[in-house]
Amino acid sequence: MKLQLGYVPLSDAAVLIAAVTQGFTADEGLAVDLVPEPSWATLRDRLALGLLDGAHMLAPLALACHLGLSGPQARLIAPAALARNGNAVTVSLPLWEAMAPASDALPDVARALVAVARRRARDGRPLTLATVHPFSSHTYQLRHLLALGGGGLDLVRLVVVPPPRTAASLQGGAIDGFCVGAPWNSVAVAAGAGRIAALGCEIAPGCPEKVLALPAEMASVAPPLLRGLRRAARWCAAPEHWPDLAARLAGADRLGIDADLILRGLAGRLRLGPGGPERRTPNYLMLGEDALAPDPGAVDWILAEMAAAGQIASAETLRVEAATLYPAGSPAA
Amino acid sequence: MTVSRDRPLEPPDQSLTIAVVDPSRARAAVLEEGLRAVDGARVVVIPDTADLPDRLMALAPDVVVIHLESPSRDLLEQMFGVSRLVERPVAMFVDRSDAAMMQAAVDAGISAYIVDGLRAERIKPIIDIAILRFNAFARLQRELSEARGELADRKLIERAKGILMSAKGLTEDEAYKQLRRKAMNEKRKIVDIARAIVTAADLLG
Repeated sequence: MKLQLGYVPLSDAAVLIAAVTQGFTADEGLAVDLVPEPSWATLRDRLALGLLDGAHMLAPLALACHLGLSGPQARLIAPAALARNGNAVTVSLPLWEAMAPASDALPDVARALVAVARRRARDGRPLTLATVHPFSSHTYQLRHLLALGGGGLDLVRLVVVPPPRTAASLQGGAIDGFCVGAPWNSVAVAAGAGRIAALGCEIAPGCPEKVLALPAEMASVAPPLLRGLRRAARWCAAPEHWPDLAARLAGADRLGIDADLILRGLAGRLRLGPGGPERRTPNYLMLGEDALAPDPGAVDWILAEMAAAGQIASAETLRVEAATLYPAGSPAA
Repeated sequence: MTVSRDRPLEPPDQSLTIAVVDPSRARAAVLEEGLRAVDGARVVVIPDTADLPDRLMALAPDVVVIHLESPSRDLLEQMFGVSRLVERPVAMFVDRSDAAMMQAAVDAGISAYIVDGLRAERIKPIIDIAILRFNAFARLQRELSEARGELADRKLIERAKGILMSAKGLTEDEAYKQLRRKAMNEKRKIVDIARAIVTAADLLG
């Protein structure tokens, strides 16, 4: 069976990409074409309108699309998660200098960020921070970070920048900071444009990040696809495969960047700034088989975050409908 | 925050402002020309630069047609859809019932944002033209790149012939026949044999 599966160039598409390039999906009789998409909104539209048979997708966006909150409505299922965590907040070097936090500890960084954001808002030049899509854990993590420092999203100008464009937007001065998944934080650091200020795995530990989203009518391909993904998740979790995996992701037809920058995220060893310290966080990006099982609590978490961010009026009325995104009895059984 | 525009009982030829946003200037021009045919339409191409949101707000278009690969596409969606930065509410594909049109539009690379309340019969011709123009542009580009490839192939074969002629004292016709025979025997394309000869000659020469 032929399948067109979309993804946005990010390290957390690794399990999906490895499932195809290692031949695990072919072993299940699936001929998968991987289609890179320029942004989450475009991926969502193409999935919702039946031009893709499935996709690597932001968990909150899959839910928003399923509920008709974003783009053309489509009944979706998310039979597997593809990754947990993996995001970081990176700020421009001038902003990092202005923040001058007492330490790299999250509360210090949050307080310093909010202090600058307040000053800039008062001066009528609010900080511009980028998320990758309104319906994303990135939006919610930025909100949590600002809340931890005693502020909120209303202090900043929040814009949307597709992941592969974040580093260049920071370098060009269009934004003062962003929250994005690996490897784009490391790309900004390597370009000398940014300083990693906070890690997603500390702001919201175990955050439901990406899911495999399929149109509900494609449910029959879920079992063979999941078998391939499970083998790929085991393969991706083995440290001896990381250099090979990084090289596969780095190709011009995938992420098109230096493999070493991808390796930093896979290994959880992030260089925080140009010539800056290295942070070791094994949970920075979780790709293994354990991350594959959809978390039954994910729906409640996402709905609560949507409500807190003002995207929905109330989580309560949507709970029953939202739960249908995650088919019962899947996946890793 | 839904329909906020007062446009009751408007005549069908009432003017309509369409903004075109596309990272490809050539494609934007092709689309602009096509959209001018829409009854009463004023078409404005806006460059995809950092001041795009300001320029759009100043223009206050009825329809924004933007290419799906445009870097600003997500920003527009956020402006129009979630954050309500603009006063006039805008929705993508007002008539959500026309799934076939939406699918054809997205397949052609089009995203459209339309002032809420604009009637479906005014939107459809715009989207139809955009689909036709974008698809024609993609076909032209494909043909152009194929033509470029063919030209490069022909140049390669000419060079290989020249190498054979001077190395083996052959006429042009004899050189071409040798290339063709070799290609047939090895079940390869003539251009592949020619490339091998040119590469070998570059290395040895």
